[in-house]
Amino acid sequence: MSPTDRRTVGELLADCDALARETLLDATFDRAPAMVRSWNQLVGSAAELWATLPSVPGSRSGSDPMDRLRVVGEAIGRSARAGHWPGWGPTDEHLTQIGDNLSRARHLVERQGRPSQPKTPEAQAQLEEFQSQLMHTLYVAAHGTAVALGAYVTDLQDRLQIGTRRRLPLVERPTALEVILARGMIARFDGFEQLAAAYLFGMRPTSGNPDWTSVAAPFIRLETALAVWEVQAYRTLANGPDPADLVRVARVQALIASTTSILTEAAATKGHIDGEVIRRLAPALDASQAAWNRTAKRWAELTNPASRTDPSLISAASEVRAAIAAIATNQTGWATHDQLAARVDLPKTVKCLHLSMIASVDLAYVVRDTAVDHPGLIAPARIIGMRAQGEAELAIEQGETRYEGVTWTTPHQTAANQLIPLPEPARRGLINLADSVIASTNRAVAAAAQLDTSKPTRSMRSDHAPHRGRSYESREMTRPQSQAPKGPSR
Amino acid sequence: MDAETSETVAGVVRLLRRAAELVWVASDTDGAGSPRQLLALGIDLAADEARNLLPDAIPIDGPAPVGAVPAALLRSAEQLLQCVATREAADGLHGLLARVANLVWEANSGVSD
Repeated sequence: MSPTDRRTVGELLADCDALARETLLDATFDRAPAMVRSWNQLVGSAAELWATLPSVPGSRSGSDPMDRLRVVGEAIGRSARAGHWPGWGPTDEHLTQIGDNLSRARHLVERQGRPSQPKTPEAQAQLEEFQSQLMHTLYVAAHGTAVALGAYVTDLQDRLQIGTRRRLPLVERPTALEVILARGMIARFDGFEQLAAAYLFGMRPTSGNPDWTSVAAPFIRLETALAVWEVQAYRTLANGPDPADLVRVARVQALIASTTSILTEAAATKGHIDGEVIRRLAPALDASQAAWNRTAKRWAELTNPASRTDPSLISAASEVRAAIAAIATNQTGWATHDQLAARVDLPKTVKCLHLSMIASVDLAYVVRDTAVDHPGLIAPARIIGMRAQGEAELAIEQGETRYEGVTWTTPHQTAANQLIPLPEPARRGLINLADSVIASTNRAVAAAAQLDTSKPTRSMRSDHAPHRGRSYESREMTRPQSQAPKGPSR
Repeated sequence: MDAETSETVAGVVRLLRRAAELVWVASDTDGAGSPRQLLALGIDLAADEARNLLPDAIPIDGPAPVGAVPAALLRSAEQLLQCVATREAADGLHGLLARVANLVWEANSGVSD
């Protein structure tokens, strides 16, 4: 921080936005790994600044959009620090500069004393302006990183093809695994971008969006419960989780997928969604739900009678369950479509659930990272010996030779059903299941892509005009009005 | 929490875990989107809460509960909790009792039949 830097908070935020746009313009393949490494620091600085700003009057407590973004940023940062792609290396100058500017803005705000709630319309407008600008910076920077990652993947594929054609030594070629990992990172940044877009493009309550203040209580409860759940799930998984925690995470995600399916079908029945979209989306949601449930069952094999679930996770899960039960069930099971339509604004509730689905892709990556990295995974010898053998046989059928003739437990361990460290094939099984969740949820996200989270489209029809923050209008990047908020033109 | 109460709560944990297991099996049989998963998850969470009331030193292992009807197992858990959730008992036990009582009601409604 330069002592001669005399920029105001507004100027610093404007500079951040400009730098984010430059990031997008310069989003070349060679910058992608560094951008990923810089991401957590940037989001951390943004979250700290956000926390120093008062909330806009009328906003709902417990549903801070920055909480979601921060935990995704932290998960990406943890993944890179743990040695996953892109691993250690240099950071990106532009994104680091944005982070530094945001930290400088936070210092300025703090030096002036924590601001109170805005008392005049002008002060409120300025606050909304700052928040929108901050979120817009993250949105554009996430998009720029996704663009750079896309270019990186293309470059890897080109080099892979050339290397294969010219029969270059293997060490001189990129690996197919690196392509897969970089693609996975694109999905995570896409999710981040969409979460930021949801805030920017009309899912927040503001004075200019009074419709939100009259939304029915069950919807607000559900939206808040989902946001709190996501943040808590990340926190629990980041702190040496017990397998029981993984079971609960997967079960709750499965329930959310089922609920999304039920509400989306009801929205289609009531004419809010095109029938074609629901025909593609319903099987994908069912597959996602089934994949989460399979994951839960497999992690449950690693629990033992003494296993404990994080109390904060129990609390967050209980609230999600209660919120879903209040909206989506009756005494005989799922509520009828008429009941659902009477209880909540279906288009808004569906948008909220789809946003949660987008966020769940990244959560699935964190589950995968846990399966890869968790050093303390142990399991009862009998079940895990059988599981390891089953996975090993599958791998052997696919050409893996390292597992041939290996036994995974000793007779003594089996007889006493001792808790033993997880054998490699069993760990591989957990990773494969997480991959299956990622793939099926990504398919659901793709199928739901036409369900614009910002405004009515040919696929999502809403009676409520979407809000676009006044402050955002002045900075909107060029984009055809009919497109979903997928990001500025690549 | 005295030893007798701890043993009772450990028994409640076993009953709840067994009930959850049975409802998950029924949910799996239903297939994707079964509404029974709500009840099953609710029982899981109650079992988690009961488990967390107990210190590490208390063994959870014990005889597997007899019975294959989730509602009956839940009712047994509720009855055990009523014995230990006295006026002087910790708040956690009262909260758990209320949670289990709700689950008994849910299990007796059409969702878990």
